[in-house]
Amino acid sequence: MRRVFAIAVNTFRETIRDRVLGVIVLFALGMIIASLWLASISLNQQARMMKDFGLVAVTFFGLVVAVFVAASLVHKEVEKRTVFVLFSKPVGRTEFIWGKFLGLAATMLVVLAGMGLFLFLLTLVVAKQASGWLLVATALIYLQLLVVMAVTVFFSTVTSAILASVLGISVFVAGQLSHNVLSLSRLGSGVALKAASWIVYVLIPNLSAVDIKPTVVGEASASWASIAAWAGYLVAYIVVVVLAASWVFRRKEF
Amino acid sequence: MLKRSVSVLVALACVAGVVAYQAHAGTKPAPAAGDPNVFVPSPKFYTDLSPSSRTSIADAYWLQMIQYYGEHWKTDHRFDALPAMVDLVTTLSPRFKQAYFFSAFALIDAHRPDLSYHYLLAGYKANPTDWHFPFYLGFFAWTYAGNEDRHHVAIVAADYYSQAAKLPGVLPSVARLAAALLAKGGEKQKAIETWAAIYGQGDKYSQQKAIAALDALLPPGKHERISAVAALRDLMPASQYSRFVGAIFRGYQ
Repeated sequence: MRRVFAIAVNTFRETIRDRVLGVIVLFALGMIIASLWLASISLNQQARMMKDFGLVAVTFFGLVVAVFVAASLVHKEVEKRTVFVLFSKPVGRTEFIWGKFLGLAATMLVVLAGMGLFLFLLTLVVAKQASGWLLVATALIYLQLLVVMAVTVFFSTVTSAILASVLGISVFVAGQLSHNVLSLSRLGSGVALKAASWIVYVLIPNLSAVDIKPTVVGEASASWASIAAWAGYLVAYIVVVVLAASWVFRRKEF
Repeated sequence: MLKRSVSVLVALACVAGVVAYQAHAGTKPAPAAGDPNVFVPSPKFYTDLSPSSRTSIADAYWLQMIQYYGEHWKTDHRFDALPAMVDLVTTLSPRFKQAYFFSAFALIDAHRPDLSYHYLLAGYKANPTDWHFPFYLGFFAWTYAGNEDRHHVAIVAADYYSQAAKLPGVLPSVARLAAALLAKGGEKQKAIETWAAIYGQGDKYSQQKAIAALDALLPPGKHERISAVAALRDLMPASQYSRFVGAIFRGYQ
């Protein structure tokens, strides 16, 4: 556990100092501020536009950070051969993967918390209509991005960094559409097709189970029970994927 | 030194070129309004595609819709795609009240008051506690009913105003409108009862209006008026009833 913590702390320090991360976060804050302009041309819908487009910006830039940093995380260590120095010490490969993942999760926490609080305060100051749901939504976006990060880390253990990034983004998109796969499994006529669609439905992370953005703008009312169940599902999914990544990484030959 | 001066000159020339190009581009006349027949996807496409992002998509189309309306209102007054845009925004975001209110008036410019009425009804169904919906429905029923029987239209409009008058936050004038329209529609007894209720619940101004309206609606004969006023006893608090009787029989011996 201490070894995992040590790797996590080092990963956090390494990623938080990354200039690319800083540029992306600054750009995200710029986009959130740009939502003020959109709000100004929305016929008195300032608060709604700021919340909705602000959350879209948080998700989009969070996704960019999650995917590109997660894809290069393991690869960089292997390419620079620093992984060999690490493995010459009493550090297991599973501990390495968990440490890397948790370090990046801490970085994402700082990034998402920063963006979420900034959006909350901006809505509070400008539109005077900030709602606590904005912070809940940011926390749930964080969990969704952790899923994408875990999947990207998994792919980065078996393929190149670029391909892992592409696959990570694809999984994020597929996660938004998972209910369509379920519809397909219901529509299919053959048992094999139905079974295959159902398996795909279970494998793809369900990233649209709770209407969180509609809840933030007062369009839907998500219950705390459904939010808690979904958060539990996402955490369980993350654990499974990181365990799978560790399992694959243990069998990897350098 | 010379190298540096050349670099600075090149940089300044480039900056001047960029500024000059943009300044020239800015002098061109504004582009003509686009085709009024723009493609608008079906709302089902988006609800199937990404239900959790439906409000973000609705907001993006809301911005496009008001831009489309403004652009064509300033130029050719053609709003062919407006009904589809309204349908998309209100289907993706059924509680987006401003979209219904804006669309109701914008669709009048598109010569589709029937759709204004349709979307206000849909909005009322999705937002049953907002008094603005029945209020606008009453207004649209009264104003854009065309050649329909005016008495019937007045009663329909009065019914919407009465519904609005029962909702929280409503303006006191809405109940007065309902009562006035009931009288216009020939529903004399209902109009009398509504005015009496307004007297019982309203402010001083509403009470003055109610007395004036009831004075015209109630029978002038003393005995008939006494029995008509007695029937209104339950429509207002007892403390106000005696004042009401005093006001309505002012000038009678």
